Amino acid sequence: MSDRLQQAVTVLQTRFGSAAPRPAAAPSPARASGIPELDALTGIGGWPVGRLSLLTGPRGSGKRTLAQRSLAAASREGSVAYIDLPGRLDPEFLSRLDTRLDRLLVVRPKSLRDAMASVRVLARAGVDFIEIDLPQGRSAGLDAELPHLLHRIAEAECTLLLIHAAESDDAIRYYASLSLSLQRSAWVLGDDGDLRGLQVDATVVKNRLAPPGRRASWVVPYPIA
Amino acid sequence: MIACVRTPHPSLVAAWLTSPGLRGRPLILGGRADERGVVAAASDEARLQGVAVGMSLNRAQQFAPEAIFEPVDEMATARVHQSLLATLHQLTPDVAVDEDPGCAFLGLDRLVLRWPDSSQLLAAIERAVAGALGVSPAIGVGSSMFVSKVAAGQAKPGSPVIVKAEATTMFLAQLPIEVLPLDDDVREYLELLGLRRIAGLQSISRAAFRRQFGVKLLDIYDLAFGIDRRRWRPFKHPVRIQVAEPLEPPIDNLEALQFIARALADRISADLLEHGLGTRGLRVTLGQEAAKPVIIEVRFAYPVTMAGELFDGIRPRLLRASISAPLERITLRAGRLEPAYVRQPGLLIRRDGFAESIADAIARLQEEYGPAMIQRAEVRADAAPLPDHRILWKPA
Repeated sequence: MSDRLQQAVTVLQTRFGSAAPRPAAAPSPARASGIPELDALTGIGGWPVGRLSLLTGPRGSGKRTLAQRSLAAASREGSVAYIDLPGRLDPEFLSRLDTRLDRLLVVRPKSLRDAMASVRVLARAGVDFIEIDLPQGRSAGLDAELPHLLHRIAEAECTLLLIHAAESDDAIRYYASLSLSLQRSAWVLGDDGDLRGLQVDATVVKNRLAPPGRRASWVVPYPIA
Repeated sequence: MIACVRTPHPSLVAAWLTSPGLRGRPLILGGRADERGVVAAASDEARLQGVAVGMSLNRAQQFAPEAIFEPVDEMATARVHQSLLATLHQLTPDVAVDEDPGCAFLGLDRLVLRWPDSSQLLAAIERAVAGALGVSPAIGVGSSMFVSKVAAGQAKPGSPVIVKAEATTMFLAQLPIEVLPLDDDVREYLELLGLRRIAGLQSISRAAFRRQFGVKLLDIYDLAFGIDRRRWRPFKHPVRIQVAEPLEPPIDNLEALQFIARALADRISADLLEHGLGTRGLRVTLGQEAAKPVIIEVRFAYPVTMAGELFDGIRPRLLRASISAPLERITLRAGRLEPAYVRQPGLLIRRDGFAESIADAIARLQEEYGPAMIQRAEVRADAAPLPDHRILWKPA
């Protein structure tokens, strides 16, 4: 970059902020979520590799269903792990989503610290996709663990997806490269009156890899037994 | 290919190193001639007079009245044995020990890259051993430990015997069956059948041999063709890798302790890298002021070398350690050392290595947190009415 161009960039950054003149960097690698609407929404084609993504929303907004669909898609490509802090993962539900259960490791740690240690070890060992199901009110101490963890995740080129309640801590938001907020707009009922899925409205709250602020709405179907 | 390096019994070498005047004279080790005991080792000069290992000392004196009788210096013998193995270990980490303390095996496959000319390689091995022990070894090279040891038995110092893989059967055929590790009954039986040379064994089929002698002796049959199924017992170099740091003033907060532990892990890692080793076990000793030291043992599923991995093993245990007083000293000691190269294929071939690494990671987590922490789920096809019964949880 020439001196004059560098000077111009500095002027623009001073006036409009450091993100205003954006270099056209190589596209970030992404892992497809298995949901085309979500892949389009992220702007990079799925969950970013080597980074932390955050999936937030109130109860019943479909964040776990969506996360488990992503897990199912990732399990068809490589090894996956689910850090089940609440201890309520339903493998039967996952199997209905065509999850390769033989490639799934379910980790049930006693504490958040144990969970983070497991993520570090598994990521470095070569697990491609790790989901952390973080129950509300159990995020204390996560901000101290995350810098250590994210370094390993980046090194191992692992995709880390954190499922968290709507009001996530500042530290978690800060470390996430992509933050997606979900809201349920309607239930989807079948002709027989049975619940078939839900309509979700998704907003990209934060995105370090593509322009944030995008919105989309789609139907998340529940798998049929 | 495998080389067998054979020296006189280490107790003899130790005696010669202690008293050089004993060289070239009939020397019998095991005790004084008037003591009750057996011959532990005898020099070639004594053997020429009929002395054999295991013979009573009194009888040995009758065969060799001029011989010098000495007790075995166990410590010096062990040092000589270690010295032989350590000398070979400097050439290659592929060194294995044998039941016979005067023998050691070397894997030559990697050494061939450094010494394409086998005669130069064997000369280098001979020079190294002669320099360390003061005796020239006999070297045999073969496709297995057994063949190389038999070849070393026929070799003389300075003129190694090399048995190429394709010539193994022919080389062994000419030898008597005594070279095979047979017990007396089997040897007698084979001789009754007229099988006095290995060629005789080679001429009968494996199935016929099995019918006659059973499955247990099939290993002997395989040895007759040079196939040695014994486990390679790698020599572990007695390297001591330990770092310690006095803490002045004593510290009482975990943040500082982690910082120091990380620095020590860096130093341990540097030492391991220097020796080309990995550790499977790390011991952290935390010296406390006016209290017993806290000892933390960390085990790794595979030989670990890098500081990050070492620290990742230490950190959770440090955080859980029950420390009751300010710490005045921290010591890290790496144990269960192994050649680090065993991990390299995993580093070079990403996918192939990963499958193994995940298994290692699971083993490590289960060791650390218990088998129930990391599990695999299976949905049972014969669905039971209760959801809990439909899912089969298994430790990963």
